[in-house]
Amino acid sequence: MSRELAAYRNLKDISREEFILPGTSVCGGCGGMEALRLAAKVLGDRVVYVNAAGCFTLLAVFPYTPFRGSWLYTTMGSAPAGAQGVRDALDVLIARGKVRPEDDVQVVVVAGDGATYDMALSSTSGAIWRNLDFWYFCYDNESYGNTGAQASSATPYGARTPTTLGAERRKDLFEIWRAHRPAYLATVSPRYPVDLSRKFEKAKRFKGPKLFLAAAPCPTGWEFDPAKTLDYGRLQVETGLFPLKEAVGDGPVVHTYAPAKRRPVEEYLRGQGRFRHLFEPVKQAALIARIQEDVDRYWARVEA
Amino acid sequence: MIRVRFHGRGGQGMKTASRIVGTAALLDGFIAQDSPVYGAERRGAPMVASVRIAEAPIFERGVIPAPDLVVVADDTLLDDPAVQPLAGLPPTGGLLMATAHSEEEARRHTGHPGALVARDFLTLALEQVGSAAGVSAALASAACAMLGLSGPAVVAAIGTELEAIGLSPDSIRANLRLAESARAGIQRVELPVRSLAAPRAGSPVVDVAYAPPEVGTPSVTARPNTPLRRTGNWRVFRPVIDPAKCTQCWVCFVRCPEGAIELDAEENPHLDYEVCKGCLICVEECPTGAIAKVREMREWAPSEVTR
Repeated sequence: MSRELAAYRNLKDISREEFILPGTSVCGGCGGMEALRLAAKVLGDRVVYVNAAGCFTLLAVFPYTPFRGSWLYTTMGSAPAGAQGVRDALDVLIARGKVRPEDDVQVVVVAGDGATYDMALSSTSGAIWRNLDFWYFCYDNESYGNTGAQASSATPYGARTPTTLGAERRKDLFEIWRAHRPAYLATVSPRYPVDLSRKFEKAKRFKGPKLFLAAAPCPTGWEFDPAKTLDYGRLQVETGLFPLKEAVGDGPVVHTYAPAKRRPVEEYLRGQGRFRHLFEPVKQAALIARIQEDVDRYWARVEA
Repeated sequence: MIRVRFHGRGGQGMKTASRIVGTAALLDGFIAQDSPVYGAERRGAPMVASVRIAEAPIFERGVIPAPDLVVVADDTLLDDPAVQPLAGLPPTGGLLMATAHSEEEARRHTGHPGALVARDFLTLALEQVGSAAGVSAALASAACAMLGLSGPAVVAAIGTELEAIGLSPDSIRANLRLAESARAGIQRVELPVRSLAAPRAGSPVVDVAYAPPEVGTPSVTARPNTPLRRTGNWRVFRPVIDPAKCTQCWVCFVRCPEGAIELDAEENPHLDYEVCKGCLICVEECPTGAIAKVREMREWAPSEVTR
């Protein structure tokens, strides 16, 4: 273990410095915002965020910016291509002596699940295949949150959205990414800040694609009280629905936290408006059981 | 035509309230138009919704600059220069607001001489449906009463609109009971009916000149400046830290998505009320219960008048 990693053992090891300032237009109680804020504390201010259209469009709205680093805005489908352009420009400027190597900055794609799972998937695939030296931060609120939480291919099985009555199983993006053998990839949750910080710190040692899938509990789209955002963040992990894991290159998947005793998925589903129809007017026991079986099967494979 | 403008925050249900009023008017045989205006689904941020009710087809569009009736979902919006809910309201217009202040205080503070209904609809909603979002049906019902729309139309409209956003039958029944008590004793207000403005003839189409990307693309070259936006005006409840119960554990500081909590040299947390959006994650997460949830209320000085 490196000295840097040893630096994150408990909450008091989180940086007291803020790299994304308050006052943005994102919803109060945004889980994705908390995840990005914690990530930025590790990444620092020597970054260029390349932001795909989505909820986080609202982070920098002219003439305001919350970032101590830079920010570039792209369409939903092209953030990794934007990152390639920024990285290439920096490399060219450094090679020509116009930018000193010590003034180099990291390129960080910020994109929601709509962009990540759907529209920018081919752009991301290309960037990983070209071994682009960049970071990818996906805030996964499991819907097109910015326009009213319509279904994306990250929407979980059984959830009602304005466009679907009960979505199909979500894509396994972690495995899609892993099939490309990126330098580093991980899932993180804003409710587990030490785990999140350690992963971002660890990824610093790799050149190439460093990909993060961040759970982003969404009070607006999932329909719960914003004060409960991190309660749902905790249940998402403690039920086993959102496993915290990482992989380096073509190495094995390592689960960085496995709940000792998984909570029943029902505890997580109950109370979210998007799953209300699973409990009212009649409880849909078979559907809930299918969600539970999916989780149990996943962890049976992990523990085998 | 009657024009009604709603002021609320994302999550308070003013979009739904405007739809209830529009649907009730439609059921009573009028032509109605309702449309909300907000940024991109920002829960907590101020938003506006517009309803137009007429006996003839409506060709006006957009936000209503001169409303006949203004509905304000909570009184913290009243003095917000970014909201200005009373802008354009004529002295003969009606004003409906949710406030914990008395109706006399509300009249003095707003200086509105016309019809005024000011009640604590938030407390009513919390008592009867257990959710702050209940102000939606309560204010819609009270607004319908002020407009003179029929009781059956209001009941049907609430049922339709609340079902459309996925509320359970039990919850809809509770909202209907709330709507009943919210409109109790409210009289129809005679609003001066103003006719449609005739479209301007011969307005020329404007050619927009081409601007190269470096000119036509907005760039922000400032240091981080979002705190200037003062999102503290989003709060309906404020978190208040009790230093005596605080154990300097960092939980509220680490878990605040906004970064609105700062630790001092002794690791005591301090909230920045200029930017705190009032999500209350800190209240929920504090392990010692040291952070209280306090209703956001502005002091109204006797001499202070909003407009």
